[in-house]
Amino acid sequence: MTTTVFYDRFERHAQGQGIKGHSTHYCPGCGHGLAHKYLAEAIDELGIQDRVVAVSPVGCSVFLYYYMDVGNTQAAHGRAPVVAIGHKTANPDSIVISYQGDGDLASIGLAEIVSTAQLGIPISVIFINNAVYGMTGGQMAPTTLMGMKTATSPAGRTPLMGQPLRMAEMIAGLQGPVYVERVALYDAKQRTRAKRAIRKALECQVENKGFSFVEVLAECPTHLRLDPVATEKWVAEQMTQIFPLGLMKDVTKDASFPALPRPSFSEERLLEVVGASMEEVSRFATSFPSHLAKGDVALKLAGAGGDGAQTAAMLITNAAINEGFDSTHIPSYGPESRGGTSYADVHVAEREVLSPAAPNPHLLVAFNAPSLAKFGPAVQPGGVVVYDSSTIHSVPELPAGVTAHGVPFTQIAADLGRTLVKNVVALGALQEATQLFPKETFLYAIRNALKEKCAMIPLNEEAFAWGARAVRGN
Amino acid sequence: MSQPQMSERPKPFVFPEYCKGCGRCISVCAKNCISFGTEINPQTGLIPIVLDLEACNGCGLCITACPEPYGLQPQLPEVDYELIDPATLFGPRQSAATPAETTPDELIDLPATAPLVIKGNYAAAIGALLAGCRHVYGYPITPSTEGAEFMAKYLPQLDGVFLQAVSEVATVNIMYGCGGAGLPCLTFTSSPGFSLMLEGISYMIGSEVPGVFLDIMRGGPGLGNIAPEQSDIKLACRGLGHGNTHAIVLAPSTPQEMLDLTMLAFQLTFKYRNPVVILGDGYLGQMTGRVTLPNKMIRPGLPDWAVWGDAGHRRNLICSIYLSEPELEEHNKRLIAKYAAMSASEQRADLFHCADADTLIVACTTPAQMAKGAVQQLRQKGVKVGLFRPVTLWPFPIQHLLPLLKRVERIVVVEASDGQLEDELRLALSNAGIFKPPLIENIRHYGGVLPGQTEIVNRILATQEVAS
Repeated sequence: MTTTVFYDRFERHAQGQGIKGHSTHYCPGCGHGLAHKYLAEAIDELGIQDRVVAVSPVGCSVFLYYYMDVGNTQAAHGRAPVVAIGHKTANPDSIVISYQGDGDLASIGLAEIVSTAQLGIPISVIFINNAVYGMTGGQMAPTTLMGMKTATSPAGRTPLMGQPLRMAEMIAGLQGPVYVERVALYDAKQRTRAKRAIRKALECQVENKGFSFVEVLAECPTHLRLDPVATEKWVAEQMTQIFPLGLMKDVTKDASFPALPRPSFSEERLLEVVGASMEEVSRFATSFPSHLAKGDVALKLAGAGGDGAQTAAMLITNAAINEGFDSTHIPSYGPESRGGTSYADVHVAEREVLSPAAPNPHLLVAFNAPSLAKFGPAVQPGGVVVYDSSTIHSVPELPAGVTAHGVPFTQIAADLGRTLVKNVVALGALQEATQLFPKETFLYAIRNALKEKCAMIPLNEEAFAWGARAVRGN
Repeated sequence: MSQPQMSERPKPFVFPEYCKGCGRCISVCAKNCISFGTEINPQTGLIPIVLDLEACNGCGLCITACPEPYGLQPQLPEVDYELIDPATLFGPRQSAATPAETTPDELIDLPATAPLVIKGNYAAAIGALLAGCRHVYGYPITPSTEGAEFMAKYLPQLDGVFLQAVSEVATVNIMYGCGGAGLPCLTFTSSPGFSLMLEGISYMIGSEVPGVFLDIMRGGPGLGNIAPEQSDIKLACRGLGHGNTHAIVLAPSTPQEMLDLTMLAFQLTFKYRNPVVILGDGYLGQMTGRVTLPNKMIRPGLPDWAVWGDAGHRRNLICSIYLSEPELEEHNKRLIAKYAAMSASEQRADLFHCADADTLIVACTTPAQMAKGAVQQLRQKGVKVGLFRPVTLWPFPIQHLLPLLKRVERIVVVEASDGQLEDELRLALSNAGIFKPPLIENIRHYGGVLPGQTEIVNRILATQEVAS
């Protein structure tokens, strides 16, 4: 069998000069050449050469891209399966092959291979297990046999160095893969099986069945310090004891992976997704609330988690921007938001909000006593405080000229049947007490926010009205 | 493919220089036609096998057993194999396709829309969508998760891909694959996650793969906390993994800029075939503000260099390996020339009341907003202070700073890190030949504490008093 999937000259191997133009860099008796050849032949037989993207690993087969006349990517150590995910999700029509050795796949890249296999995305993994690190010079691999001497297990592998890892069995134990087989190269029969398995792994992808994995027991005569023929014998007699050959999983019969998406660039769809509206915005304010502060009003809304301070802050920001002002809202995070004080900094600026923090607000909405105690003294002179008199029974000393309005947010909300709307009660109170914006500005923002939950609008409008009424009655 | 009949099966031949003498072919030959050689091949120093084909029945098992692509070959009857180039043995290549040309991006008009009121993280996500990014990969990490959550919810509605990877290490390598396939891709991360991505970013730079990294910086070192800090500036500007690496680093300071600069990042990452880093901070990511959409969106094309998986792109390779030292030196020189081009063309800064300033505040991301507030407050008191806000942290916008230095007597660097921004400033000044810069002072905070407007105002006023 001949194939055109190998380059006619290996230009990437020493510029294709001399023997290297037609000869691999592998040692005599190495298993990689055979695996390359069977892969090339399978690509040829399936007629997929133009579609193939081969991901070369780090290890002896790092130079796979020297040889295969397909799209090539060279990955960082252990990462080939996830690089393959990148290619497959970019172009679902590509046929992506992750070709890896035992150090790459079974050591540094364990997380990548296991997660990719479980994802089940249709890529084909060819795993060359020769029980040793070849490229770095014969160190212990995760698949090194017990007792086997390597550069980093000079007296032989002991239990303190861990047991050999059976990857095919592990991968077959996952739900993601559709086809897992372990094959070998040591005699004509095994080679026929290996070739068939590699072809099947590619077929699984061509037919979009799912993730496939072929472990190939390969020879490394150099680091076993054996001649090539003796190495074949060693694989046949020693390696297969720990790594039994055969089919580990095959559910290809009815398997079909969901179609990977093809991106849409419809501008209508995008605008809809991001919530952009072409509708004219209704405005109610005639001017910036300069009576509260010149050019920039700072607000703080503070309460316990669940009081709705952040939602109320969002509504103010939305209302301000609808009116054509600039506005920002920053929620507090960290331990304080877990059961303690949760606060929001809001700015409303005539032109542009500069500093978005509000350490000294003009307006403070406090939902509980700790919030009022903490932030009340920081309110700017002439500022306004609106607080929940259902929960706050004593008001701390406030700076000179600060007006405080106690409104029973929680009690009003409870009387309306839903304590959740206490933040809208607070907004009603804030509007009445400060005239930050006209009433309609707030109601418009509230209605917009409840577009998807129209049934809630009357309750919220009522809550808002009661908040305002409570301030008027004070 | 049909097998030839027994009688038609060709016998093997081998170029001795392509045989490594492993002997896999010997044991499969039932007719004992093949034996280990005894003569050393002078070209390879190896001992090739010897063929004696008198008994050969052309079974082909030896050819299947040979690991070398150009090792044992079927002998073609009329060919004088001793004389021909192996390259001509197999007839025409499967694909005669011409190399792909770059498909350019397409600009699509957008109608005018009302401003959005959204968080900085969402604004960046929308910027990515508008820039044509439909592939987002990530690993959840606070305070950047809204970005990933937004994409997980909305990308499927645009038939895009959001994939939660097994780790940040996997994330950056999926981006290496997707970017290598020529498509715009993005991740949202935060400081510890960004640390994990650095190896992959080095590979992307070395292999010239585009991709956009949005790092919402948080407090460190180690796990630190999830409050805003600016302590990844040194990583992004000076420490993008191993090797001679650089990438354009953008520093937005408002939700609007999160959108605008994310769009710009995609343009730059493809222009230079180099990753782009956007540094935000926890405060900015969480900040809700007014965001106006642009009047165009992008449908991305496909570059000619992409490893896409079709005939036109088949010859391409994404790789950072250059085995020979002179070649790797050349590659480095190419990359360094690219950095120089970025440095010359991509410096960006925002100048606020700088024209007549004798005191200059230098700050970026959220602290720059605090500083902006401080400048306004100080100007009302008649203090001649301005804000110099680098929008690109690398390259540092020294071109925009130099003209101001004639008048400036003091620079106050305001930052939430241990002088990482100041180091960039000092290095840029030094590289520009300014060895006696104005007095440089600083306001620094760490661990999630941000410099406040009042603190900046008080410091500048105190400095003024000392000066007068």
